[in-house]
Amino acid sequence: MSLFLQQIINGLTLGSIYGLVALGLTLVYGILHIPNFAHGALYMVGAFMSYFFMVDLGAHYWVAMAGSAAVVAILAILCERLVFHPLRHSPPIHDKIAAIGILLFLEAVVQMFWGSDFRRMSSPYSGILNFDGLIIPEQRLLIIAGAFVLVVALQLFLRKTMTGATIIAMAQSRDGAFLVGIDANRVAMMTFAISGILAAFAATLYAPINLVYPAMGHLVIMKAFVIIILGGMGSVPGAIVGGMIIGFAEALGGFYISTSYKDIIAFGLLVLILSVRPQGLFAKGAH
Amino acid sequence: MLQLEHVDVCYGSFKALTDISMTVETGELVVLLGANGAGKTSLFNAISGLVKPASGAIRFEDKQLNGMKASAIVASGVVQCAEGRKLFPQMSVMQNLMMGAYVHRRDRQGNKKRLNEVLELFPILADKASEAAGSLSGGQQQMVAIGRALMSRPRLLMLDEPSLGLAPLVVRQVFETISQINSLGTTVLLAEQNAFAALKIAHRAYVMENGHLVMEGDREAMLGNEQVRKAYIGA
Repeated sequence: MSLFLQQIINGLTLGSIYGLVALGLTLVYGILHIPNFAHGALYMVGAFMSYFFMVDLGAHYWVAMAGSAAVVAILAILCERLVFHPLRHSPPIHDKIAAIGILLFLEAVVQMFWGSDFRRMSSPYSGILNFDGLIIPEQRLLIIAGAFVLVVALQLFLRKTMTGATIIAMAQSRDGAFLVGIDANRVAMMTFAISGILAAFAATLYAPINLVYPAMGHLVIMKAFVIIILGGMGSVPGAIVGGMIIGFAEALGGFYISTSYKDIIAFGLLVLILSVRPQGLFAKGAH
Repeated sequence: MLQLEHVDVCYGSFKALTDISMTVETGELVVLLGANGAGKTSLFNAISGLVKPASGAIRFEDKQLNGMKASAIVASGVVQCAEGRKLFPQMSVMQNLMMGAYVHRRDRQGNKKRLNEVLELFPILADKASEAAGSLSGGQQQMVAIGRALMSRPRLLMLDEPSLGLAPLVVRQVFETISQINSLGTTVLLAEQNAFAALKIAHRAYVMENGHLVMEGDREAMLGNEQVRKAYIGA
């Protein structure tokens, strides 16, 4: 029983990280219809920025996280301004090619400064809590709590503030948003900034129980795409639930079947769920 | 109040509007008649800043609208209620109305007052306030669309085919409401195919064909005009 609970904790941890990354991806897709392959690179840069602030500059974990979020938010806005905005009238394939270009560019830049080594980044929360045989590392608890807080904060921002409502309005009806005087550029920049912040938070939360290296975003972004396809492109609840499905499937599948198959499970689930519900679990009528 | 001078609009090599010059005076209710594809929506979108005119000038009061951002045009008081309504379908009626007040979001007091006026005009929306806009009937959705546009505090309200797809009885209500909005002081530019109903409440009308303005006149002249009767009223 405690082994099963252990896997639940692992599933929650993975699901939280995947959910946060997928949330940023789905927001950008839902509003701007850009499949941002570079999102995984933003995640990777987020981890490296935290590493840089913590290890090289000696900042505290939380300070590093905030700094990393700020840097990645600016980077995401730059991507939107310099790359995606000029391509807004081009065919969709241009966005995809450009996104892959950004991905390769960011990885090359990070490799130039830090090399391609695997690095460890420790957090001050390295303790282990023991609940009657159930062992929970503090960092994992922090990930779950952090993801929960971020998702609630994002929901409050989107539902309760006028600025957040402009993002929802844009996703539901682009023309309607223009008619009430919402500035498309502002919403685009804001959406990219939010996606960058979520990616940086996810990376900084996850890095202490994982490794930091330039290719760390690859598998995460692949899975995030699986999640937003599963959850329905552009759907916020879909991203969270999809993240949890993939997280749990990996944790439980990895434990009960084999760890070497855990990455295949995500893609197997994609095939399975899409053959039953091709529109995704939470598809919206919007597009 | 609104002046267009020699406005051309092109989509690629297709010329949607050719040499449009027209005026709308303060307090007027002007109708723009024309069949599908005549260019009514293109004209509205050019005024709203959603498409850029290839040439010509659009002036509202002392401001030059062409070249301004769509959001700035809304803020300056030119608001469009588009064909097909373009509501936010999953948002509640209330949220839709409040999104209309987006450009005035800092003036909470004013928005509250405005909201009460809109709900007075459309009492049914108060009952439906918490329902998703997409779940309402066509007529109610049109009320939400007009209400949302009014929340932007237009001085010039442009309505693009508000009667489209509505039952005759509802069409009459919509036109009554438009007339009422106009009599309360908002200048209205109304694009319609439903010429008879529109002309009944209008002061003046323009007729559009294939991207050209082909006729202009006041209500009586239009209602008495043989060509207009034949083409749009069917009598």
